[in-house]
Amino acid sequence: MIGYVTGRSPLHRAHPYTTLALAGAVLLAAFAMTEPRTVWLLVLAAAALAAVGGVLRSSVRTALLLSLPIWALLFVLYALLGADPRVAFGPLSLSSPGIARALVLGGRVTAIVLSFLTALATTSPHRLVEAMTARGVPFGRTFLLASTLTILPRMRERAAQILEAQQCRGLRLGGSVLARLRALGPLALPLILGALAEVDEQVLALDVRGAAAGARRTAVDPPPDSQIQRALRWSLLLLVTAAYAWKFWSMRG
Amino acid sequence: MTPRVSLVGVTFTYPGADRAALAGVTLDIGAGEIVVVAGAAGAGASTLLLVATGLAPRLVGGTLAGQRAIGARRCGIVFARPWTQLTGLCSTVRDEVAFGPASYGLPRETVLAAAERAMQRLGIAHLAARDPAHLSGGELQRVVVASALALEPDLLALDDPAAELDPEAADALYAMLPQLGRAGTAILIATPDLGRATAVATRAVQLEQGRIVRDGSPAEVEA
Amino acid sequence: MTPVPAVGLQVVWQDVRFAYGAGAAAVRGVSLSIGAGESAALVGPNGAGKTTLTRMAMGLVRPQAGHVTVGDWDVAERRPDQMASRVGYVFQHADQQLFARSVAQDVAFGPRRLGRSEALVPPLLEELGLAGYAAVHPYDVPAPVRKVVALAGVLAMAPAVLILDEPTAGLDREFRSRVVSAVRGRSDAGVTVIAISHDRPFIRSMGRVVEMRDGQIAGG
Repeated sequence: MIGYVTGRSPLHRAHPYTTLALAGAVLLAAFAMTEPRTVWLLVLAAAALAAVGGVLRSSVRTALLLSLPIWALLFVLYALLGADPRVAFGPLSLSSPGIARALVLGGRVTAIVLSFLTALATTSPHRLVEAMTARGVPFGRTFLLASTLTILPRMRERAAQILEAQQCRGLRLGGSVLARLRALGPLALPLILGALAEVDEQVLALDVRGAAAGARRTAVDPPPDSQIQRALRWSLLLLVTAAYAWKFWSMRG
Repeated sequence: MTPRVSLVGVTFTYPGADRAALAGVTLDIGAGEIVVVAGAAGAGASTLLLVATGLAPRLVGGTLAGQRAIGARRCGIVFARPWTQLTGLCSTVRDEVAFGPASYGLPRETVLAAAERAMQRLGIAHLAARDPAHLSGGELQRVVVASALALEPDLLALDDPAAELDPEAADALYAMLPQLGRAGTAILIATPDLGRATAVATRAVQLEQGRIVRDGSPAEVEA
Repeated sequence: MTPVPAVGLQVVWQDVRFAYGAGAAAVRGVSLSIGAGESAALVGPNGAGKTTLTRMAMGLVRPQAGHVTVGDWDVAERRPDQMASRVGYVFQHADQQLFARSVAQDVAFGPRRLGRSEALVPPLLEELGLAGYAAVHPYDVPAPVRKVVALAGVLAMAPAVLILDEPTAGLDREFRSRVVSAVRGRSDAGVTVIAISHDRPFIRSMGRVVEMRDGQIAGG
């Protein structure tokens, strides 16, 4: 599952910038790490974050599903077709450096996907918008971000309604590949057309409510921030910078 | 007193349309007037609301000919489908209603007070902490109307505002309008629910194929 | 080609119960029978359970207790697309389902799905005042008219039971009159009609009024 999940975990209650900073730190740190050991420690750290957010099972499951195709590709490219020396793995002959490379790249992808799924699941779009508004971010940008975050659940709900309506007109789901392809039109077209038609009205409604007023919006209910959280965010930045400094220093050495 | 909106010989055509949606419309709406705009589907009632509030052609495109002067300092508009008018950014009804005043950068206390007043007016103060996404259609429509009122518009356009409301809620919504009119708000209502609208309206305008064919007492239109 | 059932089927809800999630029950022990060919208005405040009850008859909602039958069919044993051969369900926001390139094509979608004749489509468009929109894209017609198009799409399927959720809401006088006339015509022809409505004159035109409050039948 991708998207916000209601909860009361420490991550849910944290300032949205803190949660996103944690995910961002994992993203940046993943590229600073070049050894399988360190990368997989990062994956464990991302999993620990998901556990703190109370979304470990769903995030790990979704992350694995999303990462699997990439893992398969990496396995073929590096482990099967990689350079010598090779090691025997049952009937397979795998490239030793290739395995290490696949583990690093695959680990990076898994860590990044896992941390972002956790961030998405524990960051309320509404709180994020309020946090951005409190910082003076223009409405256009906050709306764009919030719409992107909330579009999936909205479309899902709408798709479910359309599906029901078409079933009530005799559309049968399942069956042959051709039958499923034919069912796409009555399902996808009203979803897209309806969404476009509603966007028109939403633009009008938001405009008269001052969305384009140009003034700095008042944050009505900004999420509380704290010295500790601000210190944590700065620390993450320093840590990531240190990781890159270490990487470049090691490369030079 | 300056009319809230003055239209003289206004013709409006949507982009790519063969015929004008409004043709030669001349109309003045003054402060405190409650005008019901009647007409069959496609007659131009909804379009008149968009033109009167300045949303057409500015946001919908198209071409406008004739003279239009909008004297209203602030306009509000409410459409029939409440869920299309939510910001999608607010997790509580209070925040949703406060969106308008907040957009103008008013102080937080002023924003909250305006939202509270609007919610009281619509009898939805008990919904303040609820998530708009989990409200019924009727409750949601009242939130949308409150959101429009929170900005205290001089001109309020209502496009079939009670479509999603049960009879009691619809009666309560329309019953609130004369009070707004007395406070000086000009109100334009486009609706097929002529019974309720004409009961509170001070004037009625009938459109046919984009032209005003009658402009007079509400009783004439309901007949 | 799915057979056209005998006009008018009885719809029976037998002690049905349903709750959405962990919240309060939407339908609490409702037993109701609408006879074959009968017309009934289902009224009550928003949130009374009316829509949930009607959705049970289509198999869109499975009661957590009790059962629902339409004629000799137990709804629990059928999918919604199977129920469509007997029950025509018009959603409150039915215009969401429109997708075809023209109004006429969209109205023909249902009968085509059921393998039934599309001969009903042109006279139906005429009856509902949609003939002038036949070749127009559904999203190029006014929103209230889209609602009537959706109704036409269901009537074109010639259902034995017609379930309507707020069929006249948002319609102007002309379209309202046509819709009311079309529904009455089906009822007179023996189709079982169940309509959720707040439209008082429309309610009065139905043979029977069933009131729901807080998930239960208040009157019958």
